[in-house]
Amino acid sequence: MSTATARLPARRVRAGLRASVRHAARSQFAFRASTWTGIVGCVLQVILVHLVWTAVYGERTVVSGVAQGDAVTYAVLGVLTTTIFQPFIFDSLLGRLRTGAIAFDVMRPISAVPVALARQLGGTLAQLPAAGAALVVGLALGAISQPGSWLSGAACLLSLMLGFTIALIVNFTVGLVGFWTLETGGAFLIYRMLAQFSSGALIPLWFMPAWLQDSLTLLPFSAQVFVPLSIYVDQDPGWHTVRALGLQAMWVAVLVALATLVWHRAIRRLVIFGG
Amino acid sequence: MIRAETLVKEFTRPQRVQGRFSGLRSFLSTRTVTTRAVDDVSLRIDDGEIVGYLGPNGAGKSTTIKMLTGVLVPTSGHVEVEGIVPWKDRRANARNIGAVFGQRSQLWTDLPLRESFDLIASLYGLDPVDYRRSLDGFVDLLEMGPFLDTAVRSLSLGQRMRGDIVAAMLYRPPVLYLDEPTVGLDVVAKARIRDFIAEQNRTEGTTVLLTTHDISDIEQLARRVVIIDDGRILYDGGLESLRDRYAPFREIVVSAPRIPDSTDVPGLTLTRTVAAGDEVRATFRFDPADLSAPAAIGRLTSSLAITDLSSREPDVEDVIRQIYTDRGVVA
Repeated sequence: MSTATARLPARRVRAGLRASVRHAARSQFAFRASTWTGIVGCVLQVILVHLVWTAVYGERTVVSGVAQGDAVTYAVLGVLTTTIFQPFIFDSLLGRLRTGAIAFDVMRPISAVPVALARQLGGTLAQLPAAGAALVVGLALGAISQPGSWLSGAACLLSLMLGFTIALIVNFTVGLVGFWTLETGGAFLIYRMLAQFSSGALIPLWFMPAWLQDSLTLLPFSAQVFVPLSIYVDQDPGWHTVRALGLQAMWVAVLVALATLVWHRAIRRLVIFGG
Repeated sequence: MIRAETLVKEFTRPQRVQGRFSGLRSFLSTRTVTTRAVDDVSLRIDDGEIVGYLGPNGAGKSTTIKMLTGVLVPTSGHVEVEGIVPWKDRRANARNIGAVFGQRSQLWTDLPLRESFDLIASLYGLDPVDYRRSLDGFVDLLEMGPFLDTAVRSLSLGQRMRGDIVAAMLYRPPVLYLDEPTVGLDVVAKARIRDFIAEQNRTEGTTVLLTTHDISDIEQLARRVVIIDDGRILYDGGLESLRDRYAPFREIVVSAPRIPDSTDVPGLTLTRTVAAGDEVRATFRFDPADLSAPAAIGRLTSSLAITDLSSREPDVEDVIRQIYTDRGVVA
């Protein structure tokens, strides 16, 4: 039925995806005021987090077995990673669903899934100026210590990449809910709050009661922010680091399978029931 | 070429339960109702044809088009566009078809119109030089220069529609589906879009399937019309023979000081009387096969004190109204 020549060559597909990334990033910059508030907001958050955690520790150097420097570093890096990982531009899919433009997106020479993921990546890139400004301020404040060891730094980089992949897939999957119900505003507000809390971006999981910490570890959110950042401040990486990375990789596999399943159900809904 | 054979699309939805606790019972109920949106539609559109697809709201027009674009999977029947089964191979089908749904837009709202075009060009893998040339041509034809760098959200409806039409044609697809491309537009904007479609059909040989509620779109663009109602095709043929078949009458409108409702002129039927100042204006119908126009006028002048008279052929809109009324559909 399909002929090979009817398909776009891989080179063209890559160019199309790159264009989608760029387009989505530029869309985020379309409103100058919101770009500036984003930057100012992120910088402010870093300053406040630094202030609060320094005050919480006061004269003490260690609380619940966590050193002050680690806690402050964690909190500041937490702000940066959350800004980049969870830009919450579900508009890549949700907006298109709401306006019905999704019908066009499923009949293009490039499949809608990579395009939606590329757009999310573009949303992330658009957060870089804000995260960059906040990083500079954080460094100037002396709020970011060096990684626990060079090995921790390297492992953290790998872990951040895995964490970002997890964030990308989870956000994509949640966006698919729009195929079933277009009234998603409230649900997403709750999701966003839970995701931020469970990822350990607001409060490190170390400070939570054991039962909560244990249950949150079972969710894919802690693998987005908490895992990479606790690797960063870890002074003695070892097998537990490898295990944490392995767990992240497992999450990627599980979530890819889940996303595929949900996507197929969603598309089935669109093409059989007419959306 | 577009080919559809005995195409059927059924939608199954959960049945609403009436009566007490209807909300809860509907939620728990597993009973469903099935409706046939498209019922046994067979259609063949040759390369380079412009076909008008008509029918009242909910007749199945958009459902048919969605199956032709591959967005919907038919319940049964066969569909093939340019040799490809659209829903089986959406990606291969994509480059052969362009679609405009007047009620929704495929453009990305936050950035200038030009950026949407650039992105579509990349998604369809267009060569940059070809793309430039196409875009320049379209921008000229549709006079889009002044708003090419305006954010899509700030465009007027007519500008946005032109944007959507160009978005559907940038990659020069051989088949174009236009679902109400002139809905809500003013006369000038409509004319511009009609001219553009006619031009593309003439120069590129684009096959066009056009749905609209504006009969003048059809009269000016299509030589063939397909009329669908209740999911079934009622008529498929030329615009002229449509008139002969469904409205084989002529009308004579006469003015006179007094025209009683009981006026009986042999061979003519009084269909409407309207008061116009001191006079009454009445519309009579006759079948040109039974009665010649001069004879009809002679009979009218001999039975009524006529001050003015004009004759008209029913236009397509009358015909469509006639069909819908015959079918018990409110036009």
